[in-house]
Amino acid sequence: MQISLDWLSDYITLNTTPEELAATLTRAGLEVEEIVSTATVPEGVVTAKILSREKHPNSDHLSICKVDPGTGEPLQIVCGAPNCDAGAIVPLATIGTTFKDPDGGKDFTIGKGKLRGVESFGMMCSARELGLSNDHEGLMILPPDTPLGLSVAQMFKGDTVYSLELTQNRPDWLSHWGVARDVYALQGGELKFPAADLPPVKGTEPFPDLVRVEAPDLCPKYTARVIRGVKVAESPEWMRKRLEAIGIRPINNIVDITNYVMMELGLPLHVFDRSLLKEGRIVVRRAAKGESITALDGKKYDLEPEMLVIADAEKPIAIAGVMGGEYSGVLDSTTEVVLEAAYFNKTSVRTTSARLNLSSDASHRYERGADIGMVEKASARAASLILELAGGELVSDLVSVAEPPVPQPHILCRYGRIRSLLGMEVGDLEISTIFSKLGMEVEPLNDESCRVIPPTYRADVLEEADLAEEVARIHGLDKIPDTAVRAVKCADFSADTFAPVAAIRNALVSTGLYECLGTSMIDEKTALLDSDFTKEDLVAPVNPISLDLAVLRPSLLGGMLATVKRNISRKNTNLALFEIGTCFCKTPEKYPEERGEVILALTGQRHPERFSGERAELYDFYDLKGLIETFLEERGNPHYTIRKSEDRRFAKGECAELVLDGKKAGVFGRIHPSLVKGMRLQTPLYVAIFQLSNLLTASRKPVYYQPVSPFPPVTRDVAFLAPADMENETVIAFIKRAKVPNLTGIQLFDIFTNDSMNGRKSMAYSLTFRSGERTLTDEEVNKAHEKLRSKLEHGLGVELR
Amino acid sequence: MELLDQIQSIVREAETALASAKTENDVETIRAKTIGRNGAFTALGPLMGKIPPEEKPVAGRAFNEAKQTLLAKIEETKNRIADSAAESAGETIDVTLPGRKWHAGRKHPVCQTFDECCDIFRRMGFIATSGPEIETVFNNFDALNAPADHPSRSMVDTFYFADGRIMRSHTSPVQIRTMLAQKPPVRIVAPGRCYRRDTPDATHGVYFHQIEGLYIDTDVSLADLKSTLMAFAAEFFGEGIRVRMRPSFFPFTEPSVECDFTCVMCGGKGCKVCKNSGWIECVGAGMVNPNVLRNVGYDPEQCQGFAFGMGIERLTMIKHRIEDLRLFSENDVRFLEQF
Repeated sequence: MQISLDWLSDYITLNTTPEELAATLTRAGLEVEEIVSTATVPEGVVTAKILSREKHPNSDHLSICKVDPGTGEPLQIVCGAPNCDAGAIVPLATIGTTFKDPDGGKDFTIGKGKLRGVESFGMMCSARELGLSNDHEGLMILPPDTPLGLSVAQMFKGDTVYSLELTQNRPDWLSHWGVARDVYALQGGELKFPAADLPPVKGTEPFPDLVRVEAPDLCPKYTARVIRGVKVAESPEWMRKRLEAIGIRPINNIVDITNYVMMELGLPLHVFDRSLLKEGRIVVRRAAKGESITALDGKKYDLEPEMLVIADAEKPIAIAGVMGGEYSGVLDSTTEVVLEAAYFNKTSVRTTSARLNLSSDASHRYERGADIGMVEKASARAASLILELAGGELVSDLVSVAEPPVPQPHILCRYGRIRSLLGMEVGDLEISTIFSKLGMEVEPLNDESCRVIPPTYRADVLEEADLAEEVARIHGLDKIPDTAVRAVKCADFSADTFAPVAAIRNALVSTGLYECLGTSMIDEKTALLDSDFTKEDLVAPVNPISLDLAVLRPSLLGGMLATVKRNISRKNTNLALFEIGTCFCKTPEKYPEERGEVILALTGQRHPERFSGERAELYDFYDLKGLIETFLEERGNPHYTIRKSEDRRFAKGECAELVLDGKKAGVFGRIHPSLVKGMRLQTPLYVAIFQLSNLLTASRKPVYYQPVSPFPPVTRDVAFLAPADMENETVIAFIKRAKVPNLTGIQLFDIFTNDSMNGRKSMAYSLTFRSGERTLTDEEVNKAHEKLRSKLEHGLGVELR
Repeated sequence: MELLDQIQSIVREAETALASAKTENDVETIRAKTIGRNGAFTALGPLMGKIPPEEKPVAGRAFNEAKQTLLAKIEETKNRIADSAAESAGETIDVTLPGRKWHAGRKHPVCQTFDECCDIFRRMGFIATSGPEIETVFNNFDALNAPADHPSRSMVDTFYFADGRIMRSHTSPVQIRTMLAQKPPVRIVAPGRCYRRDTPDATHGVYFHQIEGLYIDTDVSLADLKSTLMAFAAEFFGEGIRVRMRPSFFPFTEPSVECDFTCVMCGGKGCKVCKNSGWIECVGAGMVNPNVLRNVGYDPEQCQGFAFGMGIERLTMIKHRIEDLRLFSENDVRFLEQF
C-alpha cells in the first residue's frame, strides 16, 4: 500500500517530518518500508530578481542580466530565455548547484562559465529544468511578491510517498483516510472527512428494479446510483498526479474517480455504462453453471456456481469484488453510468480470486474485509466527484439493498487487566482516551472498567485482548519497562526431550564426525535406495512441490548417499559424517510413522599422505567399529555386543550389527557396491544406521570408582592354531569365563595364516596379570598362565603353539 | 691455607678439561677424576682431618661449594654436548611443517544454534520439548485460532496428506500438545523442523527450523516477554544487543508483536543488511490469544502468557553472515568445517 503525504494531509494536519511520522507509524504497527520523495528541485536554487537585461554583443538570442539573489550583490548571468525581463523574479541556480539526471545519467553541476566571451555566474531556470512541469517556453516566473534569496527546493518540496507493509488484520489501513484516523490517534490534530455535497436528484424517473440481490449471504449490502450526461475525458492534473504518485495509471475521469475514492476511503467502487446493461438493471447473484466472463484484463474466465457475480438481466457484467467485465465498462462514448458501492463477503471474494487466479486492488481490500459502514459515504463522495469533474446529473437516489446490520460487539475493558497483560503502567483515563481517539465508543461503567464498542471498520477488535493491543500500539510498546527474567520451574526436567538428543549429537561430534542436516523431502528413487523400504512404505503429501521433493525420507541412507556423492563430485574425498533426523514410514509393522534415525558415514583417508614417505591410510571397517565403540563408551552403554550380520545394503562379509541391551539397535559395515555405482567414489564407503530410540533408551552404567593398583603388571603370551572361523569375541569370552585369578587384560596382538596351517589360523594374545594387593610372583603368574593354556586347549579345542 | 688452594686448583683443572670435552665419555672421565668415588675430592679427606678445629667450618663450606660448582658445570657440559650432537645429527626439526591434525567433529551450524538456544532458555527455566512433524489440522491451525479461510491453510502453502493431516507449518502445534497434556504453569521451548510449500531458493526451502517459546501462568505479561528476549539476545549475540517490539498480527497471539534485535552487522548504526534501520527482525511473538487458551481448555480469566517463534536458519545466517539458505542442506564439508 502506497500513501502520499500530500494526499494524507487533506484529512489530517501533519506536524512532523516524513521520517518522524514514518517512525511513529512503524512503532504503531503500520510498518513504513520505504520513504520516497518526489522532490526535484536541487539545493542551491534560490529566488532572484532580474535587475537589468542587455543584449549579448556576440549573440542574437543571448542576454546579459544583472540578477540579485537576495544578497544585495548582483550577479552577472548570461541567459538564453526570451522572457528574462528586468523586474521578473525567477529561480536561479547558483554556482555549485547539482542537477541530477532523472533518467539516471551523469550529474550536472553549475560552475562559473563563459558564454561567447561573457562571464556568467549561475543559471536561471525554467520550470522543466527544475522538474516542476513540462513548461520550457522560458524562465519560470515567480509571483512578484516573492522574497529574494529563498530556497526554491523549500518552496517546491514535492510529495513524499510511503510504502506500507500492512498486517492482514488491518484492512482499514488500506486507504488514506484509514491511515489518517490512526495518525490522529497517535499525534492528535484535526481530522477532516472529505466533502461530498450532492445536489438534489433531477427528474422523477423511477428505477424500480435497478438492483436485485439474489445472494444476500455473499452480498449483505449493495447500493447504486444513476448519473446521466457525464462526459468521459482525462482527469484533472491534480488527480492524475496523486494516482500516479501511488502507482495507479490514470485512465479517464470516471474510472480514475472510482480508484481515487477507493484509495481515499478504502471502499472499492465500480462504474457500469448503463446503456450496455441489458434492461439497464443489475442482478447480484451466484454464477450459473457454464457462465463465463471476459474481464477488464481481456482474459476470459470460466465461472463456477459458488462465485458471486454482478449481472445484468442476461449475463455477468462483473466478478463481484474482483474485476469488472470488459464489455460493460466505461468507454469514451459513455454518458449514463451506474455507480456501484457495495460490501461483499470476504471469504467469497478470496475464494473466487484464488480460484480464478485473478486479483486486483478491489479484491485485495474485499478479501481482507471492507468497511460496511463506508458504503454510503464512498458512494456519495464518488458521485460528487463525478458531477464535479465529468459533469452530468444525478437522476436517481441511492438505491440500497441491504441485510439488517450486524450489531457491533460490546467489549468489557478492565483497566487492571489491560495493565496486567501488557506489564506496563498506563492510567485508566489514558486507556479510555486511546479508545475514543480510535473512533470507538467508550461507556464508563465504574472505577475499574468501561464498555467499548468498536467502529465497523475495526472488525479485528472483538475482545479485551484486542483492546490491550490498541493500548500497546498507541501508548507505545517502547514504554514496556525492562524487568528481571522470572525463573520458574514449571515441569520436570525429564520432560526435556531435546537434551538427550543433543547429548547423542555431542558424543558423535566428539568422535570426530561432521554433522549434516539433510532435506526430509526427497525423490522416490533416492528414498528407495534404501532397500529396507518399498514404495508402499513411503509417506507422500498429495501436493508435493516437485517430483524431486515428492516423498518424505523413509531413512537417512538415500540422503546421506546424495551428500557423499555431492562432496565427491566437488573433490571433497575424505568424509567422516553423521546425521540425526526424523524419518517417515507408512507401514506400522515396520516402523512408527515418525522416528529418529542416526546415520554415520566414513570414506577416504583417515590420515592423508605426508612428506618423508608417511603413507595415507584409508578408513576401514575397524575405524567405523572403533568409532561406534568409542561413542558407546562415551555414552556409558555397558551392555552391547557387535556381531556378524547380513544386510542387502551392505557388502557381503563386511557387515555387523550392534546389539544394545539384547536388542538389535543398528547395522553397519561397508556399503554395498551397487549403492555407490556411478558416484566416482575411489575409496570404500562405510555406513552405520541406528534407530535413535534404541540409543536413547540404552541402559547407562553409573560410574563407580575402581581402585588403581600401585603394583606392577606381569604379562604372558598365549598363541594357538584355531579354526578359520573362530571369532576373536569367542576366544575372549572363553578366557573371561575361565576366571583366571589376577587376569586384568586380554589383547589380541597377532593373527595370521599360511599354507602350513591347513586352513587354520594362528591367534596370539597378550595377557596382563596384576593384583591390587601385592606384587605378583613369577611362580603364581606362571601357574595361572599354564592353567589357562590347558583350558584353552581342552575347552576351546585349539592347538597351542 | 693449603687445603683451599688444593680445592681451587682441582676445580680450575676440571673446568678447563670440561671446556674442551667433546663427548659424554670425556665428561664422565672428568667426573670420576674429581668427584667420583676415587676422585680428587675424596683424596682430600685425610687433609681435612688435619686442619685445626677453628678452621674446619670454613674449609668444609669451601669443600661443599666447590663440589656443587663442579656438579653444575658437569651437567651444563653434558647438555652442551647433547645439543651439538643433535645438531650435527640433523635432529632439529622444521616446526613449520604441517602437524598431524587431531580430527575434531563439528555440529551442523543449524544444530549449533538449536543447542545454544535451548541452553539459553533452559537457564531461564524453560524445558525443551518436541512434537511430530506430521500434524493434525486442529493442532496446527484450528486450535491456534487460524481463521477457517486463512491462506496458510490452503494447499498452495501447506503440504497435505490424503487423510487430511498436514506437515506442520510451524512448531506452534507443540504448544497445543503441551497445553492439552498439562495444566498451567507452562514454560517450554519447542525447537523443530517445519514445512511450507515454497519453491527452494536462496531464502526459501520446503522446510526450515523454528524455535517456539511458551510461558503461561497467572500473571505473565508482555514485559516478561521483553525481558526473556532481551536475556536471550544478550546471550546469543552478545551484550549490548537491544530488543525493540513493534505491533504486528498473528492469529494465535493478541496483542501480537514483532521483535527486532539491534543489527549485529553495524551495531545499530544502519547498514545494508538492516536496510539502514539499525534493527533486524527476528521474532514473531505476543500474548497468547484467549481463543487459543479456550481451545485447549484453559480459562483466559485464570491464566495468561506469551508465545514467541524464531527462525533458526535466520538466527544462524545473521550470526555467521551466511547469505544462501541452500548451503545448509548441501552439507559440503568445506562449509561444515567452518563452524
